Order: sequence, then structure tokens, then C-alpha cells
Amino acid sequence: MTDASSPVAHLSPVRPATETAIDLDHIGKSFRMENGRELVAIDEVSLKIGKGEFVALLGPSGCGKSTILRLVAALEAPSRGRVVVEGREPEDLSRAHRLGVAFQDHALLPWLTISANVALPFQLAGRSVDRKRVEELIRLVGLAGFEQARPRQLSGGMRQRASIARSLVLHPDVLLLDEPFGALDAVTRRQMNVELQRIWTDERITTLLVTHSVEEALFLADRVVVMSGRPGRVIKTIEVPFERPRQPAIMRSAEFHDLVDELTLALEPEEAA
Amino acid sequence: MRPEPATPNRPLRMLKTALSRYWGVIAVLVIWQAWVSISGVNQIVLPQPVDVFRDLVAEPGIYLRNAGQTLLLAALGLILGMLLGTVIAVLAWSSTLLSGILTPLGLVFSSVPVVALIPVIARIMGYDLKTVLAIVVIISFFPAFVFTSAGLKTLPPGSSDLFRVLGASRWTRFTRLVLPSAVPSWMIAFRLAAPPAVLSAMLAEFLMGTSGLGYLFRSAASGFQTERALGTSVVATVISVLCFTFALWAERAVLRKWN
Amino acid sequence: MIALSQERWRGIVLGAFGVLLFLGLWQLIGVNRWAGLTWPPLTDVLTFLFNPSRRALFGRAMSASFSMIALGYVTGAAIGIVLAGIAHLVHPLRPGLDRLASVVHAIPAIALAPLFIVMLSREMTGMAIAALNVFFVIYVATTSGLVASTAAHRDLFQVFGASPVKRLMRLDLPAALPAIVSGLKYAVPAAFIGAILGEWFGSSRGLGLLMVSAMQNFQIPLLWSAVLIASTASLLVFAAMSVVEHLVYRRYR
Repeated sequence: MTDASSPVAHLSPVRPATETAIDLDHIGKSFRMENGRELVAIDEVSLKIGKGEFVALLGPSGCGKSTILRLVAALEAPSRGRVVVEGREPEDLSRAHRLGVAFQDHALLPWLTISANVALPFQLAGRSVDRKRVEELIRLVGLAGFEQARPRQLSGGMRQRASIARSLVLHPDVLLLDEPFGALDAVTRRQMNVELQRIWTDERITTLLVTHSVEEALFLADRVVVMSGRPGRVIKTIEVPFERPRQPAIMRSAEFHDLVDELTLALEPEEAA
Repeated sequence: MRPEPATPNRPLRMLKTALSRYWGVIAVLVIWQAWVSISGVNQIVLPQPVDVFRDLVAEPGIYLRNAGQTLLLAALGLILGMLLGTVIAVLAWSSTLLSGILTPLGLVFSSVPVVALIPVIARIMGYDLKTVLAIVVIISFFPAFVFTSAGLKTLPPGSSDLFRVLGASRWTRFTRLVLPSAVPSWMIAFRLAAPPAVLSAMLAEFLMGTSGLGYLFRSAASGFQTERALGTSVVATVISVLCFTFALWAERAVLRKWN
Repeated sequence: MIALSQERWRGIVLGAFGVLLFLGLWQLIGVNRWAGLTWPPLTDVLTFLFNPSRRALFGRAMSASFSMIALGYVTGAAIGIVLAGIAHLVHPLRPGLDRLASVVHAIPAIALAPLFIVMLSREMTGMAIAALNVFFVIYVATTSGLVASTAAHRDLFQVFGASPVKRLMRLDLPAALPAIVSGLKYAVPAAFIGAILGEWFGSSRGLGLLMVSAMQNFQIPLLWSAVLIASTASLLVFAAMSVVEHLVYRRYR
């Protein structure tokens, strides 16, 4: 168990990571298409994510960034190379209920209340529901008062908040976020980024975020990894220099804008030429 | 495709496939046989399969004649019922008034045990062959009406009366757009209606005691000719399975061509 | 709730008009004897049906038939859901169970009757045929419903380390509930048909027996009454299931 439950209120170093939490060792993934041809989704990717580090995978759609997340989540197996999470096979981690996940599709169960949806991971892990933890998270994501509502009664942004609360409820060792705000409008999305940053700074969980938004990656992550499209490769890695907790104001700073430009250029090299 | 293992395994593989598909049916037969053996049921009450088979071979004429008649009535009734259901569904589609009246009635009739109408129809029309035919037509009518209506609903409803739709310029629209869109639902209705058509023909024959498989079954059962009764069951099952298989095959063939 | 759209109102009015038209035609044909003496007016049937002296007769028949229908319905539904659950959990068993269901469905009830009469009893034959009819509908509905959960939900359960049984209980079954309830709705007339057919093959009581004996003895109002009772009961249960279906759809989808 980690001690991530005790909120770290004070300012800590930007990069506390020393120990490796997620190790992608020369992984590749190919799919066989219906016409018999092979599609190389990930060519060769090596990436180490430290304990308590927040890494954002940035890339155009179809570059295999979601596939990398699915490999870490043990939803798929690599064709080549090896994935090690917390020193073990990824499957061991999900079987031990130590993963948290949120997808672009909120994937809330329509027949459960928000409170029951957030409590679901406890039940899937066969543990008794920690009511206090559920309440705390619902409050933390700003859904207090909506505990007994059903997902369909909430807006898209509120559903994603519930989905984030659910991903954190078990104090996971590793948090996987697959475009969690991809379906939201720009204003809601920015607001959600600010809140996720605040919550994450309290919990400091090893996190892999998959996104195609440059601003989102920069504002949230300690390190941004840029991938190229088909076949997926890592083409650029930058350390994010901003200290935590981060204020929304940094998004207006010149440094932030320079980094946005740099990453955008890396994403669209042909347009720059 | 993965390379197949060496050919000697082929019969084994076929056996495995057959077993994985038919283990349920085999299990039921085994349990039945075990039950008969253990409980030692009287042979007059439940004859051995061999005796049933012997009767089937000994008197093929009786079985064939009656089965042929039942099958003919069922097929004719099914076709007429489907046609009637389709025509009424098209009429209902062409007019919002008619569809408003007929759709709830169709729902009411599909939620009641229509087979229970057989005695009523038999009494009204009298005990003869045309009554059997009428019963099959009525039983087949409902699925055809309900499913064709559902198929036609995928299109905007005909806002005006049928004649405008069928007007010279509209005829092409109707045959090119309206009817094709109903074909998949129509084939489902056909598959669903085929087994009940055979069953209701036999039930009508059974209740009225005219002729055909249902009658054969009834006279055998009342005369304690259990081999004959079970032989009729076997023939009825074979006919029913054949009809269902044919309907399924027709549905798949048509849908494949359609898409 | 009260603010129905104009279209809904139109549908309700036209539907009620259609049903009234049907009942009116029934009455008209009966009164004018257009279909002969064997088509009684609706009012004659109702008068016959509600005559207090026949309460005992219909009461006995109804209790015999309805108890067999209920027993067959519950048995068939339970077997259907359990077998579909097994087919879902233990995948290699699935093709065999699918085949068994379709073979059972293809065998006409008339062919199974002698077996049930010997193996169970004449009284229980209707129950058994009703159970088989219901089983088929529920098995098909449940197997298709159990794969109705979305890919995102399945991924979520896997990442949270849910066991197959937990997944069945907390995801697959609730997601299948709308399909199962629709199946339960359509199984209602199937159960009635099965039980009535079973009674035709020599049961000593029930609505089915009433129909056959009334048909053979020209007891026309009795015949129509028995059919009317069975149809109305089926319609009412079907309508009740439609309400349940509506509620389930609202909550589970």
C-alpha cells in the first residue's frame, strides 16, 4: 500500500521520482487486419515512468498512444518487448485492484447512483465500501449534493468528475487516464484540468495521461512525451518546469506559450516546413 | 489463417465440432434413455425407438399421405397469410388513419394466445380442409403484419392515401424504396411464422379429426397405438425442423443478396 | 405526465377507436347472424360469462390453467436465464446450448405431448409445454442481452480486477435486464399457448379442456367465453409486463 492517502499539502520538488513505477521496455504492437495485412500500431517504444510521476502521452489520433495505455492496463498484450508495472506483470496489478482508470467514455453504470458508481471499485475488489472515502472524493471532484443522482441526470462534465472520483477511490498505485476530457467543450475541459491538477497534487499517484491537447498535457504533467503517427514512435520528450501546485495563471505565461509552440511544432512538423 | 495441423486429425476435429454443437441434444437423449431404463416404464406406455422405427418403415404410405396433406396446407396457408399480412401492412403504412387503428389491434392480437382461436374458427367454418387452411392463414397473418409494418416504419410514413403512392410516378418509389426496406423484416416474419404454420395445421387437424398428421396422431392415441402416435411425432418433428431450416436458409440467402 | 404530445393523443384515440371498431364488428356480426349461429354477439358472451351460476365452473378452469401457466412460466424463465448464464460464463458450452434451444423450439408441441403425458402426467403436460415455449424465448433474449454491455464497461471491469462472477452479477446481468424483461413480456402469450395446447391433449380440467369440449358439443357461448378469458388474461399480463419493461428501460439504459 502507498501512503498516497495522506495529502501532501506542502510544496514538494517537481520531480520526486527516483524509483521506476512503469517500465515499457522496447515494446511493439501489431494488429492483423481483416485483409491479412499487418498494421504496426507501435513500432518500438521505451519509456520509464517514476513513482509519483505524472507523464502525458501526446500525439495525433491513431498514433498508438491509447494502445500504450491499454498495454499498461493489461487490456492488451504487447507483440514485442515487455511491460513491467511496479516490478510485476500489468495483469497482477489489475488483479490486485491497484489500478485506477478513466476513459473518454465515462463508463458510469446507468443503473447506479453517482455514489454507488464511485463505490463500485470497492465492491469489485471484494472489500467493504469505505463510505467516508466515497464521500470525500465526491466532495473533492465537486459533486457534493449529487450523490443520489443518476448519470443520465448529469452533464457531460459532471459525469467525467464522477468517473475521475471512481478512478481514485481505491488509492490506486497507478492511475491511467485515456482522454478523460476529450468529449468536453473547451471551457469545461480547462476547468476540469485545473481541478484534476489540484486533486492530483494532493494524492501524487503515478499517472499516465493520454491526450491530444498540448495545453492539457503541459498544465498537468511532469513530463510530456510526444509520439508520431503510424507506426507509433516517441519523437520528443520534454520536462515541464512549472512547480506545483500550479495556478491557472501559468497558462498565460510566456514560458508556457513557448512550450506549447515547441510541442505543436513537434506534433505537426510538415506544417512548419 | 493459421496453418492447419496434419490431416489425420480431421475426423477428430469434425467430431469435436459436432460434439461442441450437439452435446446438449445428446445429453437430453441420454438422460431420457437413462430415465426409461431406470424407471422401467411399461413398454405399452412408452415403446422402444425400434418399434417406432418399424412402424414407420412398415406403413410409409399412411405417413406420407397424411404428412403431404399437412405440409401442403401449412405451406399454402403460410404463403396466403404472409401475403395478406403484407398487403394490410402496406395499406396501414399508406394511411396514418388506418395505421393508427390497425397497429394497436395488431399489438393486442400478438399479445394473446392466437392458437386458442382454432376451436372458435373451426366451429364457425365447419370441420373441413378449408378450415385448416383458414386457421394457418390467420396464424401466419399476424407476424407478417407486425414485422412488415415495423420494416415499413423505417421509412417516413406514407402521408397520403395509397392511391397517391401507387400513382404512375410513385410506383417506382414504392417498388424501389418502400418494399425493399421491408424485405429484411419480412424474412424474419417468414422464419418466425413457418413453425407455427405447421403446428397450427396439425392442431386444427387434431381438434377436428379430419385428416392429415394431426388426425393420424389423434386416432393413434385414442386407439392406444403408441408406436403410431410416436411415429407421427417423429414425422411432425422432421417436417417442422425442415420448414424451420428452410426458412432460416431463405432468410440468410435473401439478406445476403439484399445487403 | 399529463402533457402528452398531440401525436400521442392521436395514437391513443385512434387505437381506442380501432379496438371499439373491432368489438362493434364482433357484436354486429353476432346480432345479424352474418357468420351463422356459431358467432355469438359480444353481449351474449359477456352475459354468459358473468352469470353467477357459472362462477364455479370458470373459477375451477381458471385456477387449473393459470396455476399451470404460472408454474410453466416461472420454470421456463428460470431454466432459460440459468442456461444462458452458464453459456455466457463457460464459453465452450455455448454452441451446444444454442443448438439445444433451437432444436427444442423446432419440435412441434404436438410431438412432445405423448412424451410429457407418459413422463409427467396429463395434468402437467400443459405446464411442461408452456415451460418449453417460455424457455426458448427467455434463453434467446438473455444470451443476446448478456453481450449488450459496452466495450468501455468491460474494459473498466477488467482494469478494476473484477472476477468473472462479479462481472456477471454487477455488469452483464444488469445490462441484460432490459432484454430479459422484453423476453419475459413476449413469453406471456407463449406460456398461455403452451398450457392451452397441453390441455387439449387430454387434461381433465382447465380452460383448454373447456374449449375442446365446448367446441365438440356446440356450446357456443361457453367456447367463446373460455377463449375470451384466456385472451384477456394474457393481454392483461402482457400489459403489466409492458409497464415493467418501460420502468426497467428507463433505469437500466
